[in-house]
Amino acid sequence: MKRIFLSFALGAGFAVLAFPSAAVEINVSAAASLTDALQEIAHAYEATSPDRIVLNLGASSLLARQIEEGAPADLFLSADEAKMDSLAKNKLLLAGTRKSVLGNTLVVVVPLDSKLKIAAPADLASSSIRALALAEPQTVPAGIYAKEYLQKVGLWRKVIDRVVPTENVRAALAAVESGNADAGIVYKTDAEISKKVRVAYAVSEAEGPTITYPFAALAGSRHVEEARRFLAYLCSPPALDVFRRYGFLVITGPAATP
Amino acid sequence: MKLALRGLRLPLPRFTLEVDVELRGRVAGLFGASGAGKTSLLELIVGLRRPTEGSMYLGGRMLADVAARRFVRPERRRIGYVPQDGALFPHLSVRRNLLYGASNGDGAKRLAEIAAVLEITPLLDRDVDGLSGGERQRVALGRALLASPELLLLDEPFAGVDRPLRGRILPVLARIRDELRVPMLYVSHEPEEILALCDEALRLDQGRIIAHGTPAEVLAAPISL
Amino acid sequence: MSGEETRILGFTLGMAALAMVAIVPPGLALAWLLARRAFPGKAVIETLVALPLVMPPVATGLFLLRLFGRRSALGRFVHDRLDLDVIFTWRGVLLAMAVMSLPLFVRSARVAFEEVPHRLEQVARTLGAAPARVFATITLPLAARGLTAGLLLAFARALGEFGATIVVAGNIPGRTQTSALAIYQLIQLGRDDAALRLCLAAAVLAFVALFTSERLLARSRA
Repeated sequence: MKRIFLSFALGAGFAVLAFPSAAVEINVSAAASLTDALQEIAHAYEATSPDRIVLNLGASSLLARQIEEGAPADLFLSADEAKMDSLAKNKLLLAGTRKSVLGNTLVVVVPLDSKLKIAAPADLASSSIRALALAEPQTVPAGIYAKEYLQKVGLWRKVIDRVVPTENVRAALAAVESGNADAGIVYKTDAEISKKVRVAYAVSEAEGPTITYPFAALAGSRHVEEARRFLAYLCSPPALDVFRRYGFLVITGPAATP
Repeated sequence: MKLALRGLRLPLPRFTLEVDVELRGRVAGLFGASGAGKTSLLELIVGLRRPTEGSMYLGGRMLADVAARRFVRPERRRIGYVPQDGALFPHLSVRRNLLYGASNGDGAKRLAEIAAVLEITPLLDRDVDGLSGGERQRVALGRALLASPELLLLDEPFAGVDRPLRGRILPVLARIRDELRVPMLYVSHEPEEILALCDEALRLDQGRIIAHGTPAEVLAAPISL
Repeated sequence: MSGEETRILGFTLGMAALAMVAIVPPGLALAWLLARRAFPGKAVIETLVALPLVMPPVATGLFLLRLFGRRSALGRFVHDRLDLDVIFTWRGVLLAMAVMSLPLFVRSARVAFEEVPHRLEQVARTLGAAPARVFATITLPLAARGLTAGLLLAFARALGEFGATIVVAGNIPGRTQTSALAIYQLIQLGRDDAALRLCLAAAVLAFVALFTSERLLARSRA
């Protein structure tokens, strides 16, 4: 009985390995804040194409580092220009494919059942906020943006000792959702998909940083054709509609290319 | 001694220990083949094991009574125990071993006395490490005696001790019996030792007492299989 | 080594030492129970104690996060009544280190206790010593080397603890950042040289702790 099972398992294993896969897998390294929108877009794309989209979601800083170390990726969707710039400097981008079509804004969120009153930036310095969650402010775009904002309104030094830096912006959101952080600064798009936080206030255009998402195909891609095709899809109206629905800003007009 | 073991039962892996006897001698000998249950019986008496049935009394003082749900813990029984290899505490000096069970009052004086009887005075400040087999046995004896026991149990104290040495230790035990007047229950499977020291003997086989009387009687009785 | 790096190492050493203080009482109790007593459910307890050793550390971290976070009964009690924060604070670091290193200590301590000949403890009882005195004067001294070796092993583990720590305490420079967390952040920042310096220091510390532990064990078995 055992022998029959074993040989069956081995046979099935070999069959799976030997079977040539016709479909191409496109590895997309994308900023965590794009998670939900991207999943929906990838799903829609897979319905019209033989290719499979594999999403590697995380902090743009970590993803950029992975790509620099040779991780196999076809597309990079970053949450800030700086990370894309550093890849460009190291000649890791496929020429002519870089474009920035999305924007975002910051909001301050609190747990849904929070009793704290936060309506203006100065409230963030109040003593009832013992933990303020941000994405890691030295490397992760969402954190860099948040720090930029806090510096602009002169609060960075006052809140720095209660900042809880997290892996990526979704982790900051989760910290607020769980109640372990009293407040957090995340993208407007993150606040919209979460049912466990509410927006205390939105960071105004005047005080907030400019947030843009550059997309590019990578020089090391082994499926350049398929990668270009998906990239084009990402910048096409159906995909942009999905992004808009999730709260992203769509940048029309001349896209930022260095 | 007056050791009453009434209706005692202790299930063991290969048989059940069942003992019902009263010992009255000055030194009682427990004789039997290895595996007969001798050590288990000693452990019962000293309180390291609990019987499932029966009762134990020493000189009218209760040690255990299963029916009455009473059990006196070993540290309160005042029954000394010298196991086969002496079981000296390796991290303590000979002196500290000896004094372990002695209550503070007259420890030092009694130590000198007993060390003299057992001929271990020169060993007092030594480490347990370098002692010979015979020396270990005598220190173990001294340690048990210094705790002022009402009864002393010895489990094959001469196992692994060569003949000439045995000849030297038997008189020491006789002195314990006669000078220190401590009753003893002495386990051995060597007939000569039983004959030399004991005035009462028991023979144990497969957990049951198959003979009880004088040493000569017990040793001579035929073994029924 | 910069001042900051030294400070991080100092913090890590201090937290690990504190974690050791925390795990010794429950660790000794558990180890002794497992070594000397049979009781219903013993196998379950043994497995539970060993669990953090084999589960992914971040999983253990998640359990702790849920247990002590603001949404749990325990977390609310600690936060509201005792006015203490565990998550994202040094207490979280302590908790993660303690929980992750306890199984190692219990394992080693149990072996150390089992190696104390039970016969000696029994004889001590017959000499009039109550169980507490037997433990203090016979069991503990004879098990001391093995216990210390186990504690050093647990200490080395606590020094390197990462997965549970980052989930429960977060990687907050100046507040909860241990050397392991600092190395992780330095890697992300691309500052490999600083990361390697800390790695080397961590390796040296772990080596010393483990080496001492092994030597103690060898001597206790001799």
